[in-house]
Amino acid sequence: MLDYLYDGSFSGYLTTLFYAYPLKEEVRIYKELTYSPSLLTTSKYITTEEDKSERVYQSILTKLSYSTLDNLYNIYLSDEVESETLGLKYIKLCYHYGDDINLAKNNDIIRTVDLTCKRVWKEVHRFYGFVRFKEIGPLTFYAAIEPNHNILPLMMGHFKKRFSDQNFIIHDQKRHCAMIYNQQEIYISYLSIEDSHQLAKAEIRDNFEELFKTYYKATTIAERKNPRLQNSWMPKRYYKHLVELD
Amino acid sequence: MDLKEKLRILSDAAKYDVSCSSSGSRRKSVQGQLGSTENAGICHSFTPDGRCISLLKILMTNYCIYDCAYCINKRSNHVERAAFTVNEIVELTINFYRRNYIEGLFLSSAIIQNPNHTMEMLTQVVKKLRNEYHFGGYIHLKAIPGASEELIHEAGLYADRMSVNIELPSDASLKLLAPDKKKEEIFKPMKDIKQNQLMHLEERKKFKKAPVFVPGGQSTQLIIGATPDSDLNILSLSEKLYQKYSLKRVYYSAYTPVNKGKNLPDLISPPTLREHRLYQGDWLLRYYGFKANELLDEKHPHFDTYLDPKTSWALNNLHLFPIEVNKAPYHMLLRVPGIGVRGAQKIVSSRRLAPLQFDDLKKLGIVLKRAQYFITCNTKYYGIVDIDESKIRRILTPQTMLLEENNPYEQLSLFSLNFLPSSNLSLNQPLNKSTILLEDTPTALTGEL
Ligand code: SF4
Repeated sequence: MLDYLYDGSFSGYLTTLFYAYPLKEEVRIYKELTYSPSLLTTSKYITTEEDKSERVYQSILTKLSYSTLDNLYNIYLSDEVESETLGLKYIKLCYHYGDDINLAKNNDIIRTVDLTCKRVWKEVHRFYGFVRFKEIGPLTFYAAIEPNHNILPLMMGHFKKRFSDQNFIIHDQKRHCAMIYNQQEIYISYLSIEDSHQLAKAEIRDNFEELFKTYYKATTIAERKNPRLQNSWMPKRYYKHLVELD
Repeated sequence: MDLKEKLRILSDAAKYDVSCSSSGSRRKSVQGQLGSTENAGICHSFTPDGRCISLLKILMTNYCIYDCAYCINKRSNHVERAAFTVNEIVELTINFYRRNYIEGLFLSSAIIQNPNHTMEMLTQVVKKLRNEYHFGGYIHLKAIPGASEELIHEAGLYADRMSVNIELPSDASLKLLAPDKKKEEIFKPMKDIKQNQLMHLEERKKFKKAPVFVPGGQSTQLIIGATPDSDLNILSLSEKLYQKYSLKRVYYSAYTPVNKGKNLPDLISPPTLREHRLYQGDWLLRYYGFKANELLDEKHPHFDTYLDPKTSWALNNLHLFPIEVNKAPYHMLLRVPGIGVRGAQKIVSSRRLAPLQFDDLKKLGIVLKRAQYFITCNTKYYGIVDIDESKIRRILTPQTMLLEENNPYEQLSLFSLNFLPSSNLSLNQPLNKSTILLEDTPTALTGEL
């Protein structure tokens, strides 16, 4: 078995696909950073090459479709252990049978792809709601999140549109990166936990968090308590950063 | 009284209005201004009762001149009273919104002084939010029954959604429990809103810049179980509301016994199972092409406790089944129990490439447990019993599934609804508390029936 490793970027991933695609042998793809080697497999690091990456990108776009490319991007962002390998299988399948194979919702690979994309977007949509900002300066806000998937790139449009008149940082503490917006531009950049502690220190003391807690409590109907239902909508793993729960 | 106290009292007083949806509106957001709306709606949190918090749902005040029997804020009740100022509501909304706690505001009110005055106050809040703060988030505003057409029209220029709660599903119930309210006064604002919507749509065809009017449409709420109205009455009313007033949603709220009174039922807990069945029925009206009188009739005016409405319907119309999944048209697939909207779409998509095998169906999200008795796959029938009404009914009826809070004693006590089929459940046996969740619970929320 052969394991290909890459630097974690989307270009890196596309480069890896370029080299893995023609091989007869079964290849698995992992991020170098989180890879744990085993005795039974050989691994090879693939250096990102922009031109190769661009060729794969254009080829998928023209020979397959935008929506297949989009699926591949979502699979990559899902950040699940086997997702990169799934992406390879998916692309192979599409080139082999043509893009119409996407209609075959009973095909196991197509189904896994659909489910993966759905999981990612479900979490994106959840975090449209679950992000909690603290004010750390006049009209400047900070929020920490720890999502399962690498969703920041998919959330930028929404938050920029909504909070276009304030500065904000949304910090993915799991992946040490943050979405930063300064009322003009929006971009994603590295941000360590230590830096975020500095930011949190600057928090402006106001009572809106307290007021929201009050609201949360008062709007509950005790006669209809149903923690299982609550949990299915808002799993416990998200509680840490939700100020209303403590 | 400080703001926290007011918020506690006035959100507590508003919580029985179940609608918290922030969906359906596509107000354009403007660069440099706060706020946007999302067509699908966004939930920001979930309360321990499992309901979504999307909007800051509050009453402007709970001082009321009326005395509706079912309402906690009625004049004759001794409850804590409070009133927000316009500025307080605006501050709360903007600051909650900036912290991403909410999608926007859902503002309602008890009736102070008179309906017109109340409506005017509500309108002041939304005007301030939109005109001074350029707030582009979602606003759901109550239209106060009895308020003038002009006031309703003005408010509608600023709100994304408006609603008038009918609350009681029939004239008789209204007279009994809400003697101050008149049926005409409730339907009047609905009609006004509908007409204004049509008018503004026409204008927007001519001028792109013409203002929008309640782009998220209107909704209403019906209280379930406070009066003897049957499910048939309620669902037929909903059907009419969807057709006649183009309502976006009808919400059902299991009556929570907050007051005692001679005209009120003695419920121990809210009839949530009944509410659940009505939501399922409501989906069938809106997305599955069913008519209310297909699902219920004078002989069977109530939904089956044990089976979801679609399964019930299919069993009563077994002569239409089984249908062939590889051939049946989309609208027939939708009528199969266990095949939801998404499942039906996937069937239609996949069978274009090659005929589906029975094993494939599970992968498409079809609930075979129910669907197997109503379909064939490549002409073969896979049901584990013959196509026979009583046999299928027996196998699909859960053995123990009563929700704890839906203990039928409590619902039967007042109106003796014919809820309990003469089936295998003995009333004298203690209920099995470990099996209190209905298997089909999520279907009323996702609409995949
Ligand atoms: S009008 Fe009736 S339902 Fe509304 S707040 Fe007053 S008493 Fe309650």
